[in-house]
Amino acid sequence: MKDVSHYGPALCTKFHNDYVLAGYGPFVHVYDYRSNTLISKCRMFHKNKVHGISISAGEEVLAYGARSISVVRFEDILKNESLVDSEKINSDWVTNGEFSSDGSQVYLLTCYNKVLICDLSCEVLSSKSLRGERSILYSGMIKVFAPDKVYISAGTVMGGIIIWDLFSETKIHNLLGHEGSIFYVTLSNNGSFVASCSDDRSIRLWDLDTGEELSVGWSHTARIWNLKFFDNDTKLISVSEDCTCRVWTVMESQKNITELSISNIYDVHLSKNIWGVDVKEDDMIAVTSGNDGRLKLIDLHLERHGDEETSFNLDEISQQLDIVFDKNETIKGFQGFSFGIVIITSLGKILQFRNTTKQWKLLLTDENFVAYSITNGIQAQNIVVFSNNKKDILLIRFSENGDEVMHVEQHHTTELSKTNNCLVTEYDEHSFLLTLESPNPRDKLLCLEIDFQDLKIKTKHCFNKPENFASSCLASFQNFVLVGSRFSTLAIFNLLNDDDEPFIIRRLCPGDTTTSIKFVENKNDSTVFSVTNRDGYYDFIELTKSNCESPHPPFSYKILHSNKMMKGFLEGAFFNSNGEYITYGFKSSLFYLYNETNCYELASEVCGGAHRQWKLNNVNDGHILMYIKSSRLHLRKMYHSVFPETLEKGIHGREIRDISICPEASADTDGNFKGGHIFCTASEDTTIKLGYFDNKTGRIRNFWTQRKHISGLQRCRFINEKLMISASAREELFLWELNDKYDKRPYVTIRQTLPTSTNNPDLRIMDFDVKFVSQSGDFILITVYSDSAIKIWYYKEEENKFELITEGRYKTCCIFNVALVALKNQLFVVISPTDGYVVIYNVTEYVPFTIDVTSGDLADNKLDTLVSGLPMPVLQLQVHQSGIKSLDYAVDTMRTSAAILTGGDDNGLGLSYLTLDAVNTPALKASDFIDSAASSTITSGILINGGEEAITTSVDQIVRAWKITEGKLTLADEKYTTVADTGSLDIISNNDNTEFDKTLLIGGVGLSLWRK
Amino acid sequence: MGKGSKDKRDLYYRKAKEQGYRARSAFKLLQLNDQFHFLDDPNLKRVVDLCAAPGSWSQVLSRKLFDENIDTDSEEKKIVAVDLQPMSPIPHVTTLQADITHPKTLARILDLFGNEKADFVCSDGAPDVTGLHDLDEYVQQQLIMSALQLTTCILKKGGVFVAKIFRGRDIDMLYSQLGYLFDKIVCAKPRSSRGTSLEAFIVCLGYNPPSSWIPKLDVNTSVDEFFQGCYFNRLVISDKLSHWNEEERSIAEFMACGSLESFDSDATY
Ligand SMILES: C[S@@+](CC[C@H](N)C(=O)[O-])C[C@H]1O[C@@H](n2cnc3c(N)ncnc32)[C@H](O)[C@@H]1O
Repeated sequence: MKDVSHYGPALCTKFHNDYVLAGYGPFVHVYDYRSNTLISKCRMFHKNKVHGISISAGEEVLAYGARSISVVRFEDILKNESLVDSEKINSDWVTNGEFSSDGSQVYLLTCYNKVLICDLSCEVLSSKSLRGERSILYSGMIKVFAPDKVYISAGTVMGGIIIWDLFSETKIHNLLGHEGSIFYVTLSNNGSFVASCSDDRSIRLWDLDTGEELSVGWSHTARIWNLKFFDNDTKLISVSEDCTCRVWTVMESQKNITELSISNIYDVHLSKNIWGVDVKEDDMIAVTSGNDGRLKLIDLHLERHGDEETSFNLDEISQQLDIVFDKNETIKGFQGFSFGIVIITSLGKILQFRNTTKQWKLLLTDENFVAYSITNGIQAQNIVVFSNNKKDILLIRFSENGDEVMHVEQHHTTELSKTNNCLVTEYDEHSFLLTLESPNPRDKLLCLEIDFQDLKIKTKHCFNKPENFASSCLASFQNFVLVGSRFSTLAIFNLLNDDDEPFIIRRLCPGDTTTSIKFVENKNDSTVFSVTNRDGYYDFIELTKSNCESPHPPFSYKILHSNKMMKGFLEGAFFNSNGEYITYGFKSSLFYLYNETNCYELASEVCGGAHRQWKLNNVNDGHILMYIKSSRLHLRKMYHSVFPETLEKGIHGREIRDISICPEASADTDGNFKGGHIFCTASEDTTIKLGYFDNKTGRIRNFWTQRKHISGLQRCRFINEKLMISASAREELFLWELNDKYDKRPYVTIRQTLPTSTNNPDLRIMDFDVKFVSQSGDFILITVYSDSAIKIWYYKEEENKFELITEGRYKTCCIFNVALVALKNQLFVVISPTDGYVVIYNVTEYVPFTIDVTSGDLADNKLDTLVSGLPMPVLQLQVHQSGIKSLDYAVDTMRTSAAILTGGDDNGLGLSYLTLDAVNTPALKASDFIDSAASSTITSGILINGGEEAITTSVDQIVRAWKITEGKLTLADEKYTTVADTGSLDIISNNDNTEFDKTLLIGGVGLSLWRK
Repeated sequence: MGKGSKDKRDLYYRKAKEQGYRARSAFKLLQLNDQFHFLDDPNLKRVVDLCAAPGSWSQVLSRKLFDENIDTDSEEKKIVAVDLQPMSPIPHVTTLQADITHPKTLARILDLFGNEKADFVCSDGAPDVTGLHDLDEYVQQQLIMSALQLTTCILKKGGVFVAKIFRGRDIDMLYSQLGYLFDKIVCAKPRSSRGTSLEAFIVCLGYNPPSSWIPKLDVNTSVDEFFQGCYFNRLVISDKLSHWNEEERSIAEFMACGSLESFDSDATY
């Protein structure tokens, strides 16, 4: 077994010149942060994790973590894959390490408040401590002010913070005020301040001279793990369990009061915990590292582009232009372009603002657009579109740099009785589409095709408006117009035939207004669109053209993908140039722009909420958010980051409870997902991620993070190459359908939900198994519960329905695992409850199928479906002393016996055989039991190669491979994994003729990819 | 799954309420005792409960020593309970609010006992869990080491030591260290402790330190220095960084405690 790649928590991070260093398990990664490249991955320790890094002026690097330390040259980290030979071990945990002022020594602070002074080869020269104060520390810092002035700040579990002088070994202060354990303490470079944080979620600022508490900062909603002063000690940055990074200002007011005030919040990691933070002051960027393995860069320099935020009101514009606005005149509409913006007032004045000159200009005043107007635009063509309720439209096209008005055109339409809505979208290389709608339900929906150049109407279409329709967004595709409406409705009109009834899709999701429709990709006759809904749902729908002659309907549609944003209103989404899905909308009073593919916020603006008049437009180097607040027009530029947004994208922020690799990509993919496999991970953080790994490089790419579950996941498994099942607490079990035929990304959506039986939120589905009816998509599903219940369901593909067929209960204890095992013509249920027994039921007579003797699949002999109670167990055998955590089985080729592998909480690994004799009498025999197969709970175990080998993972972080010969287990290989809380495992054959023929995914707090 | 809300629905939680225990943890000690009977010894007189808040183990000890075992002279009996958190009074229990890793705390406990030896020491200590698995496990082990340090100074030969452990990555190192001090080490899991948690208890029977080693508490020596010469320490000379080497590990016998008929703490009722 060989590890290929590893993803997991990054406990610390540090800038060094143009590099970012980060501790990933026992490794230090070095990135060039400007070019976003991983330059080196160097193993520092055998097993321990790198918790902290310090770098001297002489380019020596001190890495420490747990009881390990190492001092190496920075260039050696760049050159080597491993420097474990330099690892040194201390007898106690090393809490912090620093170089001396001249870099010739290192100071190591242990968790018992002792400092070892060592030379660079880690020989201890002397040790220092504070007499009588050696209780345990969670945190502590060494601050080197000068060669002879080194302060130690120790955060105790009970007595607050003890600050002492290293060389005189005397106490300077004991800072009391926090409640609970102190998790971080830091001293400012100027020697004025101490900042600390604790279990109480506050940050406290202290005067280092007097020991006085200066200010308490409350803002984080969970514990804070790291702090750092920057910008000449005028600012403080903090990172927390709440997954945010916050920037604070240290303000000295006139009355000599120093205060800590919150100035910015960045929502940048996945739940939960951000461990590390560093700031590069000359670039004003921060890097944070989290439990999710993400390395995130944050731009702290808000004025980097000079004009992120501006705002105007009519008074100011009036002064600049020397024109007079009416007392009641207001800004009615606005549209953003790369050159600036165009606005219209309530009295029909149209004004232009240019970024280059920062000047306003009055373009024209149009009486027709007084009081009521709607503003739209085609940004790429510099065309602004105004419409009113009297059926007029006014079009203005600007030159490329916006300096000149190239064309103005007005149209009056007569087809509608009144107009109350206007939408625009690009159509082809020469024209765009504009729809006009009337409040009168009997009126048609008018659609104009307008030329980019002369702004003339090229064609005009009058479509039949569906019932209950109020247009809200627009997109075009080939000769079709897609119009989104309220109540989660979508209508598709044919531009080639106005009389065609529109194709209507209703209730795509629970049902607010459709906020955006975007073309995504197409393949053969099918096209994918992304559709967002205000209530937070987004769907990817596939429209497939019917191929008969005069088809009606012209399309069929299918939902390929559906998901929901965490909270707030979803106003739109698009793919950026990297193929990442970007969503935007409102979260209470905040506007957000969010990278949904990688799950982090790109930008946010406190604008007062969704009820304001607002617009988001693309501009050359990003987006511009415009909104009106207290009659001011606010413009907020959201620039594309000048730095990479992340250096490492990360995975789940909490334990991965289960992993499943998709058996194979479907035959019709063009090789996109061929060199590796699609897989999913189910996590305690309640999400399921769908990703892909490359067999050779082990690189993992994440596509989607599904938020359908509301409780922590227990299981996920691909039951064939397109269906996956996930299960969790609250009896949540979903059947998902994967679609991997498109080139850019796979899609996944829920196909069905298992009915629940109680409202008890504690009732967990612990495990499930399925057995397919041969040659069909029908299957039976067995589910086991934390209240000892066992249920068998019949899923019929055509009806897309789960039907309960058998129900029963084992005892009162929780059941951890279940398997459906077919031997000859008999079907058995194997369960493993917390009492350590392996229990077998014969359910042959309880399912409406017979068993195919050769394949073990179900055969449909059209038997009646009856709901029945579960029979009594046929066999029971105590294999373990307590809970059986893992269960797997392998049936022999004759289908007369099944090897059953069980791993327990008792550290034991059991091998039993379920056999059928000539007259079909089952027997269950223990074949082997290794009572100390691990030094801790065995959390997963699988049988491979037809039951000739097994692999187990356990909490002791050892992956073990076992050989099975004549019913006996022998250890074949064992290897340490850096994945903590190792709990899940899946394996797949690669068939790629390398010396390792299998890929293994190991999950826990992190994810590792191995080859075997 | 909020831990708090789960506790409230738990059967052991309800049972604890019925029987007047402050926490469901009481059943862990009771089930351990069902297996090992260390509290049923009629000669049991002096006990120390470390990391005791809110105090359900102390309640169990108080009931065992003073309510059930009334024959023996209660003058000689003594229960001392220590925790970082304040604890409301429990009959016959002397409480101390202190950090057990602070050397002065151990000295204070020794003072309370005078020259008498204790028969039983337990520690149900759990640190503030940070989510850094290695640190959490380490601090947990340090709580055990502090408890053990006290134990070696106060426990009579043949006495019993029980402590909560988390069976994480380095637990086997702890097992091998304890093996030098006790006749028998068992890793026990009461059924009232959830199978889904890594929690378990080490039950160390028959205190029997190396005869050449005399434990001596000094507020300025570290835990490591304290155990020098007991052969179970990792380093012989303090203040020297060693090279990396695989440390001695051993696996303790595992034993599930509490009858199968007792409630399953993973189950939903
Ligand atoms: C699980 S509780 C103990 C419950 C107790 N056995 C009962 O039955 O009520 C763990 C306790 O360990 C305590 N603790 C953690 N670290 C400690 C330390 N360094 N010194 C003393 N007590 C500590 C905590 O304050 C907490 O009350």
